[in-house]
Amino acid sequence: MRETTLRMLIALALVVAVVSIAGAAATGTTAIEERQEAMEDIGKAIQTLAAIAKKEAPFDAGVVKTSAETIANRLKTAADLFPDGSDKGDVETWAKAEIWTDRENFNKDFQSAHAAAVAMQSVTDEAAFGAALGAIGNGCKTCHDMYRRPKQ
Amino acid sequence: MKRPSRARRIAAALALGAVLVAAVFLFLFLILTTARPSGRVVPAHAPDLANGETLFHAGGCIGCHEPPSGAEDAGLPTGGASFPTPMGTFYPGNLTPDPDTGIGRWTAEAFLDAMTEGVSPDGRHYFPAFPYTSYRNMRVEDMLDLRAYLMSLPPVRSSQRDPDIAMVGLARRTMGLWKRLAFRGRGFRIDPERSATWNRGAYLVQGPGHCGECHTPRNALMILDDARRLEGGAHPGGEGQVPSLRDLLGRGRYKDVADLTLAMQFGETFGYDNLSSGGMAEVQMNLARLPEADLRAISEYLLSLH
Repeated sequence: MRETTLRMLIALALVVAVVSIAGAAATGTTAIEERQEAMEDIGKAIQTLAAIAKKEAPFDAGVVKTSAETIANRLKTAADLFPDGSDKGDVETWAKAEIWTDRENFNKDFQSAHAAAVAMQSVTDEAAFGAALGAIGNGCKTCHDMYRRPKQ
Repeated sequence: MKRPSRARRIAAALALGAVLVAAVFLFLFLILTTARPSGRVVPAHAPDLANGETLFHAGGCIGCHEPPSGAEDAGLPTGGASFPTPMGTFYPGNLTPDPDTGIGRWTAEAFLDAMTEGVSPDGRHYFPAFPYTSYRNMRVEDMLDLRAYLMSLPPVRSSQRDPDIAMVGLARRTMGLWKRLAFRGRGFRIDPERSATWNRGAYLVQGPGHCGECHTPRNALMILDDARRLEGGAHPGGEGQVPSLRDLLGRGRYKDVADLTLAMQFGETFGYDNLSSGGMAEVQMNLARLPEADLRAISEYLLSLH
């Protein structure tokens, strides 16, 4: 009887261990996929704005506002998509370890990029547009330079 | 009675031999690793400060010689910030004309020797974290313009310190041997078959821009492998690989010269996502301060590489 209980306990412990390891890996993978999706959305919105800056598309305050909203909304929650343990997963990630050792500064970078995207939402003329886009771009650059490994 | 004395004699001879060999090696090591001023003659030259400033940005000098974060002199190359590498942490020097901690008292000869020979005014080898291996390719007039520009900056006192490297004295000395090997490459030459623009681009990339210091792979002795120029190398901060700059067109990275020029001018602000990781955004922001003609030249050169 006691031996059976012991065996059951060991089996249970093993199951818990396996499930939690698999769970942790899954959390990492999910977070990586989610944040890469968020970054892709931001990237597309930036391309729309860049086309205006490059004069490939006309200045349209409506388009600017929608794109800026996408960027701001995505940035608002993006810092949460880097939970502990999501430095690796089944999907390739370029996130550097410093994100998790330097968390406060990392979050601050997101906040300032978010603020720049919010400011862009109220840009209605072409004169202010360039500087506002530059501010968002600087936000992207600062954070990526520090916390992202080069892609090949 | 004879045996031990003979054995002793052999032992003594061997010991003496070993000491002699060691002495010869030490002597050779000291000879081969002594840093000497080149004794060059500096040509007369009326400095062009604007050109000096362009070269300052082309080299991205501020990227390494920046003040510690939060310092008041942000934007001035006072040095003092740390530069961590897998070899150890470096503290790049003060490039402002402060007489005691900067280059204020450096002669033009001393400046040129630092840039091309990697030798300091007090006769020590610089570690190649200071990329003199690339700056050797610079025109003397350009280096004199750069010096004049630096001398025109406000002098700032700054703390100077040795790198945190194991056995730093010996390591520094050993750089004398390393340089003998590393300096054997052909160096930059104008290619008369190519356009002036292409050559200007090649010069900026291989000389002041020192792109190869990260984008060219190194051999086992950490010497840049010229045969594989700009094929991508190890990240200096130990953060994986730095991408190749070859076949940028074929790999679909950039459409044409105008596209790559825009990328260097605006980087991620214009959606050029590949230009900001692991320190490249800072490089891009320095490049953005170059005249557009120079960026077009760099683009023309880079896009010609296959």
